[in-house]
Amino acid sequence: MTKKRKAVSIAVFAAIIIALIIGIAATARPDAVKEPINEVMKDAVLHETGRINLFGELRVNPALISAYIVSGILIAFALVVRIFVIPKFTLVPGRFQYLLEKGVGLFTGLAKQNSPQKTQFIGGYIFTAGAYIFFGTIFELFGFQAVTVSGHSIALPAPLADINGAIAMGFFSYGVILFGGLINNGIKGMFHALKDFTLPVSMSFRLFGALLSGALVTELVYYYSLTSYVLPVIVGVLFTLLHALIQAYVLTMLVSIFYGESSEKKEKAEKPEKIKKEKRRKTV
Amino acid sequence: MPLNIDIQQILLHMLNFVILFAVMYFVLYKPVKAFIDKRDACFREMEEKAKKDLDDAAAAKSEYEEKLRGAAEEIRTMKAEAQKDSREDADKIRSDAKKEAKEILNVAKLKAEHDTEVMIKNANSEICELAQQAAEKFVIDNTADAYDSFIHSAGISDKD
Repeated sequence: MTKKRKAVSIAVFAAIIIALIIGIAATARPDAVKEPINEVMKDAVLHETGRINLFGELRVNPALISAYIVSGILIAFALVVRIFVIPKFTLVPGRFQYLLEKGVGLFTGLAKQNSPQKTQFIGGYIFTAGAYIFFGTIFELFGFQAVTVSGHSIALPAPLADINGAIAMGFFSYGVILFGGLINNGIKGMFHALKDFTLPVSMSFRLFGALLSGALVTELVYYYSLTSYVLPVIVGVLFTLLHALIQAYVLTMLVSIFYGESSEKKEKAEKPEKIKKEKRRKTV
Repeated sequence: MPLNIDIQQILLHMLNFVILFAVMYFVLYKPVKAFIDKRDACFREMEEKAKKDLDDAAAAKSEYEEKLRGAAEEIRTMKAEAQKDSREDADKIRSDAKKEAKEILNVAKLKAEHDTEVMIKNANSEICELAQQAAEKFVIDNTADAYDSFIHSAGISDKD
């Protein structure tokens, strides 16, 4: 290609781009009012306006739809793996088998380390919770669209960016800890876990706050046109990935630690009177 | 409710998670963990077997070393015995050889003496013979000269 042809091509492309920009500016509706930043933030936190119809009966937050989609994907993945991959497992693992075993082994190790009494159940629980939090958080990166009740399009957020999802997760995890205490140590074990009654609230709000902070930063970055080029690629992806990893690790770690504490078998301390009697016997 | 907290949605989230947990636990986690445990058990068994084999090998090695030590001792004893036997054999052979040499020497001496005697005897007889021949010759020579002188003196020539 000669220099002259190159210059002509660049000039043509520049002219097209300029024409398009002018066209966009010229066709802008004067009545379109930009939503103020506080409204955007409030909506990102509370999801009061952008509700979605579920089964034509319920009006739910978009995060619940995200939760169902993420769960559906994970369940489909689990079924496919169970039917087609696990029967073909070999003693020397391939790449995919290694990845699966690594995932299962990671959470089993975490469960063994923090609650050595009953590892099978808690290992399975934190495996599921970890996968749900991780893939649920990454889910928002794809920006799947849904239509709200008011007819607007909305990008589906992470399931736990909704306070209801975070509360459900926190309280369910607390329930698992209580259940562990009850099964392994009876009523006493359950009471031991009940003493930490702030635990579900702290877990819920930690999850919600951590995921929400990422969402808010991303919303802020997208809101202003000056920062909405290039920067969101770094900020949005980085925040999302970091939150996915950190929150999955934090929640699973906390649950396994508290489960271990509540299900730990405690040796009965001898009563002081009995000790005194034994001492007397020995002296006699 | 404040913060848009909705009990129904919390329950919906919980339902979703319970279903997800049940499926993930029974369909994915448990089978993969069972496989890992099975493989671990298999490797543990292999390790135990290898350890047992190693112990057996070590025991066999020590047994063989003991045997080797015994064999070395036995070899040493056998060697000493063989050396002793060979020394005795050598002594015997040497003494036999000496005895034989002595006998050979005696026989040779006797033979030499006998040969000397025979040679002396032969030499004596030869000397006698030579002396006799010499005497005969002398006699014949002397007799012929006497006869010739007689003939000559008698005047009898050969032409006659």
